[in-house]
Amino acid sequence: MSAVRAEHLAAGYRADEPVLRDVEFAAEAGQTVAVLAPNGGGKTTLFRTLLGELAAAHGTFAVDGTLASVPQHDQARLDFPVSALDVALMGAYGRTPWWRRIARADREAAREALARVGLADRARDAFGSLSGGQRRRVAIARAIVQDARVLLLDEPFAGVDRASEERILAVLDELAGEGRTLLIASHDVEQSRRWDRVLCLNRRQIAFGTPEDTLTAPTLAATYGDELVVLREPRMGLTIQHHDH
Amino acid sequence: MAWLTDPLQAEFMQRALLEVALLAVPAGLLGTWIVLRRLAFFTHAAGSATFPGLVVAGPWGIPAQLAAFGAGLVYAGGLSALVRRARVAPDAATGLLLVGALAGGTILASDVYEAGAGVDRLLFGTLLGLDDADLAVSAVVAAVALAATAVLGRAWLATGFDPGGARPLGVRAGAGDAALLLVIALAVVAVLPAVGALLVGTLLVVPAATARLLGRSVREIQLLAVALALAEGAGGLLLAYHLDLPPGPAVAVLAGGAFAVAAVARR
Repeated sequence: MSAVRAEHLAAGYRADEPVLRDVEFAAEAGQTVAVLAPNGGGKTTLFRTLLGELAAAHGTFAVDGTLASVPQHDQARLDFPVSALDVALMGAYGRTPWWRRIARADREAAREALARVGLADRARDAFGSLSGGQRRRVAIARAIVQDARVLLLDEPFAGVDRASEERILAVLDELAGEGRTLLIASHDVEQSRRWDRVLCLNRRQIAFGTPEDTLTAPTLAATYGDELVVLREPRMGLTIQHHDH
Repeated sequence: MAWLTDPLQAEFMQRALLEVALLAVPAGLLGTWIVLRRLAFFTHAAGSATFPGLVVAGPWGIPAQLAAFGAGLVYAGGLSALVRRARVAPDAATGLLLVGALAGGTILASDVYEAGAGVDRLLFGTLLGLDDADLAVSAVVAAVALAATAVLGRAWLATGFDPGGARPLGVRAGAGDAALLLVIALAVVAVLPAVGALLVGTLLVVPAATARLLGRSVREIQLLAVALALAEGAGGLLLAYHLDLPPGPAVAVLAGGAFAVAAVARR
């Protein structure tokens, strides 16, 4: 069984008007999948559907094992009195029965997860005092504590400092090496070349396949539509320049 | 020393101290969530909303706690209807119901039941005239606050920290939030005899708001808030006894002073 599989999937906020359709892909354990889409192209809809927050209008999907979300928008309250360790520990909430305390093993797992993302020395620090990149790393640590088999990462590199970016890349490679499946929503076409598969969405699925097969000028033009596609060098790279509306 | 011990000879003062000790538990534990989850105005309005219930309890011959809780439920239902059906902003809806409850209660008290001097007691409480039922309710609510904190604390933390992110973690955010509002309503009913409908924040908001300035974790804030509520309650009682002040407002003034000191000390 694939780690994540979608068949004829359509989803949206209203069943009669799906904002994303024709989604058909399968990601295996240990695969990294870049999800490329323009703003409003359906990547948030896809993630929310996989998380069970939106119902599928048509088709089916299946996720093998625990699913964890590493959200992009920091809607978290930065004034809340929680430490980095407290947030990482939240990954154990789902498996802790309500009458039990958090297990000692889970506390240990949370410390180890923070060490893996390079934040062992910041465990006691207030979450709100961390940089954006460090907060993103704490969210990844939380997903590690959840022991998720599939991670949905919403633009994990957006607005992230250089040190955090390198650390996150290294950890994502490790997680994939452990057989976890990563769906990485991104605007960075260049970086998508380093992942195993690319899923292109623009209100419907444009393409799914290896980077070589999918990162072509026609596919990217269909994906990003009127958002400008600039060919930097032949075969070398493509960047997307966004128009902010 | 006699200043401290003399008042304790009187039985009504012993009762009042016991009441303060019992109420410090929900005040600190739930007050922390009230402050962290930005429910202070909701809580204040819930207190005021009980006023009409308290006014009619005597003439109608029903227990004050039950009447207050009933009025609180009407408030919660009205708030939900205004916000969900009529799409009124939550704070405006809260303000609307607060005004309605106070005005309605005042009219009932002055023109219908001619409650007179009793109104003061309903609005500002009286720690010095507590009966067994008051103490029993406080003891039960203290136990409920302890149990709810132990069982629901994680859900409240995850939901308050990141409302959208709680569900993917396997936290039942909706049920946790409903339970929080319910135990806050119970706490409001419990503090009414001590501080009255208008001053529920004296115990349920101010000690936790003060502790929030000083504590670094939820646990720290809760422990500090319990200690502050206890100290401010006992201190207010002594002041009231010696200076012949109304006890509820005396506690409120002390609590406000402690907040000011903490705010200055933290800068």
